[in-house]
Order: sequence, then C-alpha cells, then structure tokens
Amino acid sequence: MKIDVDLTICLLHGQCVIAAPEVFSFADDGSLVWVTDPDEGLRADAEAAADACPEQAIIIS
Amino acid sequence: MMQVADSFETLPFLDVADPNFSIRSQAVLNARDESWCAKTPYGLAVLRYDDVLKLLRHPTLRQGSYRWPTHVGVTGLFARWWENMLLSQEGENHARLRRMANPAFSPKLIKDLRPKFEILANRLIDGFAAKGECDFIAEFTEPYATGVICDLLGLPFEKWRELADIAGDMGLALGVTYKQDLATVDAATQKIFDYAEELVALRRAEPSDDFIGTLVKANEDKSKLNDQELLDMIVLAIFGGIDTTRNQLGLAMDMFIRHPDQWALLAEKPELARAAVEEVMRVRPTITWVTREATETFTYNDLEIPKGTTLHLFSQAACSDPTVFPNPEFDITAERNPHFGFGGGAHHCLGHFIARGDMTEALKLLAQRLKNPRFNGDVSWLPDSGNTGAIKMPIAFDPA
Ligand code: HEM
Ligand code: HEM
Ligand code: SF4
Repeated sequence: MKIDVDLTICLLHGQCVIAAPEVFSFADDGSLVWVTDPDEGLRADAEAAADACPEQAIIIS
Repeated sequence: MMQVADSFETLPFLDVADPNFSIRSQAVLNARDESWCAKTPYGLAVLRYDDVLKLLRHPTLRQGSYRWPTHVGVTGLFARWWENMLLSQEGENHARLRRMANPAFSPKLIKDLRPKFEILANRLIDGFAAKGECDFIAEFTEPYATGVICDLLGLPFEKWRELADIAGDMGLALGVTYKQDLATVDAATQKIFDYAEELVALRRAEPSDDFIGTLVKANEDKSKLNDQELLDMIVLAIFGGIDTTRNQLGLAMDMFIRHPDQWALLAEKPELARAAVEEVMRVRPTITWVTREATETFTYNDLEIPKGTTLHLFSQAACSDPTVFPNPEFDITAERNPHFGFGGGAHHCLGHFIARGDMTEALKLLAQRLKNPRFNGDVSWLPDSGNTGAIKMPIAFDPA
C-alpha cells in the first residue's frame, strides 16, 4: 500500500491524524507527515483517513 | 476579559453584543484594515484570512461554546447533552468519538442519498411552482433541510414538521432566554432522544448499513462508543443539520436574487452548482463566526492572549479579506481560496459531505425551475451575526 497526500489541496485539518494516528501526524513545525508505505494491517485506518479528509487530498494505491 | 481590553488599548473595538451589530458593517471592515483583531465585550474578534486559518488549527485553543449552559446557569437534559456531545469535547475523547462517527458521514454513504435529495427538491418545488411565488423558507429550505435529515435517518418525509418543531424548541437553548424556556427545551430534548432510541432499537433488530446502522455497528464495542454516546451523536446530527442547512440555502437565494446574471448562468450551466455552494458560503456563511477559548496563556502576533479568553473567528470578514480576495465580488466561476463556512481543523463540520451534496442538488434544480426570482414582500432576518439567516422570505419567480 502506498499513501500520497496532495499537499496543494491539503488544509491541515488533521482529520487524518484523528482517523489514523499511526499513519499521519503533525511535525513540530506544524507540517503534515505520514508513512508513505505502511503495513497492510493499517489499510482500514488509512482508508478511514482518506474517507474522512474534508478536502479528499489522500490517495491510496 | 477586562485584562485583554486593558492591555490592548490600541486595538479597535466591535460591540458584538449590540442587537444591531452587523458582521457585514463598515465598522468591521475598518477594524480589519486597522488590525488583525479587535476587542469585543466577550473577548477578541479575529478578522483576517490568514489568522482565522491559523487559529482554527491552533493547539492552544479549544472549541468555545461548551460552557454555554453553565454560563447561563442552567442544568438539565439539554445541558447534559450539550456538554457531552462531539463539538464540546477535545483531545483524545473528541478524537475517539469522531473516529466512531466518521464512517456514518463518509462520502460513500452520502453518494447513495443524492438521488433522494433530487426527488425531495423536485417534490417541494412541485408544491408551489405553478403559483409563481412562495415563502422560500417555509415552503422550501425548512422542509428540505429537515427532509434531508429524515432521509439520512431513514424516516418518512411526513415526519419533517414534527422534527423541525422539536429542533426549533431545542434551539431556544442557544438564545438568551434559555433559562425561561428551560421546560420547553428539555421537553423537546426528551422527544428527540425518544426518537433516537426508537431508531436504534429498529437497527439493532434489523441491522443495516445506512447512517444509523453504521453508528449502531460502532456501538457494538461499548468501550469505543457507549449507548449514551451513540444517542448523543444521533441527536447532534439532527440538531446540527437542520437550521444550518435551512439558513445557508436561504442566504444562497438572497445572494442570487441580488445577482440575477449569476442565477441565469447557473441555470444554463448546472455543473456550476457545486462551485456556487462554495461561493455562497464564502460571501454569506450562516455561521458567521466560530468561537475558540484559550486553554493556556499564549502569544500570537505579538499579542499576549490570557488563558480563558474567547476568540471569535470571523469567517465572514476573513473571506472578503482583500489580501486574499482582491476581487471579492460574488462570482460562481471564480477560482477561490477555501472559505471557513464549515469551520476547520479538528472540529471541521462532520456533516459537510451531506450539506454540500444536498445544497448542490437544491441549487441546481431551483435555478432550472425558478426563473428571475425576486423579493415579493418583507424578508425577516435573524441578527446579522453569530448564526444568521432568513426566517421568512417571500419570493416571486417565473415558473420554467
Ligand atoms: C450548510 C450546512 C452546515 C453548516 C454551515 C455547518 C457548519 C458547521 C461548522 C462551522 C462547524 C464547526 C463549529 C466549530 O468549529 O465551532 C460544524 C461542526 C459540525 N457539524 Fe456542521 N454544518 C452544516 C451542516 C451539518 C449537517 C447536515 C450535519 C449532520 C448531519 C452537521 C454536523 C456537524 C457536526 C457533528 C459538527 C461537530 C464536529 C466536531 O466537533 O468534530 N453539520 N458545522
Ligand atoms: C453542529 C451544529 C452546530 C454548531 C457546530 C454550532 C456552532 C456554534 C458555535 C461555535 C457557537 C459559539 C458562538 C458564540 O459563542 O457566540 C454557537 C453558539 C450558538 N449557536 Fe450554534 N452550533 C450548532 C447548532 C446550532 C443550531 C442548530 C442553532 C440554532 C437553533 C444554533 C444557534 C446558536 C446560537 C444562537 C448561539 C449563541 C450562543 C452564545 O451566545 O454563546 N447553533 N454555536
Ligand atoms: S485530513 Fe486531509 S486536509 Fe486535513 S491534514 Fe489530513 S490530508 Fe490534509
């Protein structure tokens, strides 16, 4: 599984961090960081994050 | 709060407590030119785009209206619900509740509802189209907003009047007369909880993958979403979804009546309906500000903001900020920065896929069926601040 975030439309709501804290987090400078190729076991969480993202900025492949 | 006023003599002042205060007044624009923020009788007002954007996501701020019942000195059923529901929660508890609720509000689930929105909108328009006139609130936005919630909950449309009345009575809790209205408010709250319990019992007996069914599934693990939290969430969807949508659609009609060329354009190009929703919410949001409260003393833009200060983030003023919107005129074809009509950050509106979906359908069909809409009598308005909108809007039009 590969995870991409379109940072041109991401608005840093952090809904992905709420939905999948093991995949997404905020760095100290406030920018969004994420695991780009997480374990298959995190798929359900990652998909929940992609669904919940208000800007629909998360792409899972 | 006096502390803020005292230490910031130089800030402009906005009297948001004055019943005649308007969020769209020249005073607000002048204050925004002068400074990024103003003093108010209840704390600060944040006026510019970049600051609203940042402060909506600021880790030192929490949602600001959780204390409302305590503030007016009221306890009871509504107060218990208000203080415990998602919007009033923060941190890990908020995150847990939001994770549990997310699947019920997902865009996939909402897609199935789109055809129902279309049927509902056409049915309501059929009811008044031949007359060439209507009260746009009583005959369209209110039954539509409530009917959408009926669709979401799996209730027949005929229930809409009852649901709207209950939500209206509950809404009295958010006004200054909450204390006097307590008996009415709590009776309505009891009714809405009875409804929610009935819906849950039905889905427990017959599992489904609709909105309530999805929440009931989340409730199977009680440590993640207990029975009370399940009911609280359903009540929030009912209460939070009706007046907001009713008001926002009324404000849309107000904008389009003032910009007939844009209405004609929308009728001609229905694919612009989605962008029209965004542009209406930028220039005329129903929730004109959201509140936040400082959980610690912190410094922002060189201003020391004491713990406990309330910040009103003025979505309305921010979204005509000339540094970000050099051509702020209403234009449904313009490429714009995002608006704050659904808030932002951790509390970003959970119902926005629903609201965007239903308002897009509604505007698309209205523009096609109601030509040349115009005011046809006096419009009655809620105050032009806080949560605003029309409560009566007589219009005339040429049926298509
Ligand atoms: C045009 C219609 C709507 C508007 C303008 C709107 C606006 C908002 C805003 C501004 C907030 C954030 C408040 C804050 O941060 O203090 C919010 C939160 C929320 N909205 Fe909406 N809303 C609308 C429709 C709906 C609908 C239809 C539902 C449910 C079916 C809904 C459910 C919620 C919930 C549950 C929250 C709380 C989220 C949280 O605290 O995590 N809203 N809404
Ligand atoms: C999920 C739905 C809702 C959200 C997110 C929401 C958001 C908010 C917020 C952020 C405030 C604080 C503003 C302030 O302190 O001045 C507030 C207060 C208020 N809301 Fe709502 N609200 C919701 C539902 C409603 C509904 C349905 C109504 C109308 C019946 C309403 C009417 C009011 C009023 C009159 C206040 C002012 C209370 C005060 O002065 O503190 N709200 N709401
Ligand atoms: S939820 Fe979406 S918009 Fe928000 S931070 Fe995550 S990716 Fe960005």
